[in-house]
Amino acid sequence: MSVIDDLASEFSRLPGIGRKTAYRLTHYLLKIPPEEACRLARAIEAMAERVRHCSTCHNLSESDPCEYCTNPNRDQATICVVEEASDIAAIDGSGGYRGLYHVLGGCLSPLDGIGPEELNVDSLLARLNSEIREVIVATNPSVEGEATATYLHKVVAPRGVKVTRLARGLPVGGDLEYADGVTIAQALAGRRGM
Amino acid sequence: MFLQRLGLRNFRNFEEEAVEFPERGAALIADNGQGKTNLLEGVYYLEIFRSFRGARDEQLITFGCGHFRVEGLLSDGEGGVEVAAAYARESCRKKVTLDGREPGRMGEAIGHVGAIIFTASDVEIVAGGPAARRRFLDIVLSLVEPGYLSALQRYRQILSQRNELLRHGASLTELAAWSAGLVFTGSRITEARARWIAARRASFAHYYGAISGEPEAGLDYVPSVPRPGSGTEEGTPTREGWSESFHSEIQRLADNERRRGLTLVGPHRDDVSFWVMGSTERLQLRSFGSAGQQRTAAIALRMAEAESLRAARGRRPILMLDDVFAELDPQRAERVAGLLTAEKWGQVIVTSPKPTEFALMGKSLAEYRIVGGRVNRL
Repeated sequence: MSVIDDLASEFSRLPGIGRKTAYRLTHYLLKIPPEEACRLARAIEAMAERVRHCSTCHNLSESDPCEYCTNPNRDQATICVVEEASDIAAIDGSGGYRGLYHVLGGCLSPLDGIGPEELNVDSLLARLNSEIREVIVATNPSVEGEATATYLHKVVAPRGVKVTRLARGLPVGGDLEYADGVTIAQALAGRRGM
Repeated sequence: MFLQRLGLRNFRNFEEEAVEFPERGAALIADNGQGKTNLLEGVYYLEIFRSFRGARDEQLITFGCGHFRVEGLLSDGEGGVEVAAAYARESCRKKVTLDGREPGRMGEAIGHVGAIIFTASDVEIVAGGPAARRRFLDIVLSLVEPGYLSALQRYRQILSQRNELLRHGASLTELAAWSAGLVFTGSRITEARARWIAARRASFAHYYGAISGEPEAGLDYVPSVPRPGSGTEEGTPTREGWSESFHSEIQRLADNERRRGLTLVGPHRDDVSFWVMGSTERLQLRSFGSAGQQRTAAIALRMAEAESLRAARGRRPILMLDDVFAELDPQRAERVAGLLTAEKWGQVIVTSPKPTEFALMGKSLAEYRIVGGRVNRL
């Protein structure tokens, strides 16, 4: 196998990349100046070497504990539980949350062999000291995410910590006319008094 | 709304065919194996985006081809809407469009045709196993009950996850996490099924009586979850009622479920019973009905379905009849034809290998002949 095939086969292992796209990317890298291609290689190498899981919240970070866990300005009484580290960026980017995080590393899915032991549940329970007053469950609204949320509620609530779930409904700035039926039904079920 | 034009490409035995239908309806004559049922299957594919015969999408592609496409122009005399569906074997991709645009969810495109299909195999709903009856309910309710289809899809997903968990053994807490979702979606399904049957009972009895001349017939929901507020058959329990009943039943069966590694209660174990009044008691049609009685009940059920669709959509449904007169005696056939040609129904598309049967439907239907996947107007 040539080095070209070699790189293409590495690319094709990435999510969303098929054989054709893998070769397109490879040939693109052959066309650009060699130093640019090396810069990409160095960036990948640096990321692989330096990025680690935070031993507290399992976020991906260059430092352990991560920047969220060590930031004294964040609300130390609230933990937001997410499925993947990439979800943190979405929630923190909203600016609506200034507390701590906890990454589960997936959600319950018996068909994929994922039970509570495969997720970072024990380490979450270990973090529930007297300071923590609320756990916000921000798993996805899929059936697996919902089951995970229910499970967390069952194991966290007995520790005397309030457990909340993200609300579901209409997107802000969205037109009612264009929302789908399922979303509108959810929004109706979750309506609030004014 | 009526089907003005149907286009089929590489669909079953139709390589490339386009047919125009008049508003009143059409009579399709063909020998066996020429494509009568395939054509109706194509029309109904545009209603539910799957085969009414339960075939997988790749089985619908003409042998040796890579994809199929079905398109239908529905018209109300002034404007129209084009519904199209295509499926490619290699990518396993199904594409559905309404007037050329892909809807956000496939569910939004379901039910645009507004059609009912009567087939000879409908008798299986009455005489076959409970899965056929659940399938009937699921298709009807997906078409007339907003939110039913998504609840059903979620329920099935949770059920397979939960069964997997039970097979391999799990903590009670983990099991309870899945039970919560099962009860939540399951009670939604059960409540909708119970309500539909309660609402359609009179209509079913009316049509059964009108076709058979027999005095009394009915259908009952036989839910796997005990009916809340037991003792009374009448009245429809609320979703909360079903939810509580489902919840306590699942707790009662917990040990048994863990031992057997299977979810033992829920809408996936529901049934429907069809009965007629005998001389002293109700006779279950599934076990004691004659072939004629079972067929009559199946037709009455489809009529009740048509009423339901008409009420939900606010327009006259298209009725498609696939060789349904074949096994009825002349008197029943005539009564059925009378009911089907009533003013409240829309376009009628009827198939038969014997042109003489079309006389039952009056002379108003345009006649077509299908030979080997080609359709010609006579």
